[in-house]
Amino acid sequence: MSTSSNLSETESSPRMQDIGDRARIFAARMRLQSALDQADALDGIREIAGNLIGTEEIAVFKVDTKRAKLWLYWSFGVDPNKHSVLDVTREPRLKQVLAGKPMFQSRLSNENLLSCDDPVSALVPILVDGTVVAVLVLFRLFSHKSELQSVDQEICEVLSNCAGRAIEPYHAR
Amino acid sequence: MSKKVLLVDDSSTTLMMEEMILKQRTSYECVMAKDGLDAISRAVVEAPDLVLMDVVMPRLNGFEACKRMRLEDSLRDTPIILVTTRGEEEYVEAGFQSGCNDYITKPINSFELVTLLQSYLGE
Repeated sequence: MSTSSNLSETESSPRMQDIGDRARIFAARMRLQSALDQADALDGIREIAGNLIGTEEIAVFKVDTKRAKLWLYWSFGVDPNKHSVLDVTREPRLKQVLAGKPMFQSRLSNENLLSCDDPVSALVPILVDGTVVAVLVLFRLFSHKSELQSVDQEICEVLSNCAGRAIEPYHAR
Repeated sequence: MSKKVLLVDDSSTTLMMEEMILKQRTSYECVMAKDGLDAISRAVVEAPDLVLMDVVMPRLNGFEACKRMRLEDSLRDTPIILVTTRGEEEYVEAGFQSGCNDYITKPINSFELVTLLQSYLGE
């Protein structure tokens, strides 16, 4: 790949990266806020995960009324039969996520975020009116991406706050 | 006169992000297409100075679109950069065999994108 640089000092890498990061966050927010309907909002989640974060293996689990289990609601790039339900009593990290706190896999940790074979990169609560109604699971990242960066975590925050329309279309409007 | 870049992607999110980065950091004019077929017709009409094109798209993927663009006299020498989700050797090789000049992987790094485009177009 060509890497020769014609950039001036004012267009140095950190500043350029900041512009790129802001563009990614803005694009994510705009995509979700302009979603036409529930299906388009789910497609927006897929687009953001694949194009802006770097994973094509995602699943959305809806929280049941007792908040004891999370049922698979929609997925892309993962086997739905392997991930049909998440039991909160067996997944301690989910308690924090259900309290509204996203969880991110650390490169330093060997422990997976969920007790499944597939590597989990992030658990993102999806909020509607301040309540967690679902959890977005980001599984394996692209092979050339080693871990989520701070901008990816900010995009996850956008997903957390703006992806509610994909789950609860009426309330999110 | 500013250089013209044709951005091709079926994802409106990606198009928006690419356009924002290029508008903020370059003087390039951006035109857009949403799939491979659309890209060929836009490229023939717009005669862009460079094409930045996704690989996985409906109707016609980036590899095929690249091959067909190379059959057009007006696009034979236009730099084409493919945007891939994979950096594996065989995938990259398939891209070069389709006639692309370069590739960049998703998620796009803004510094890498601008540097790469400027290496072809200057500023």
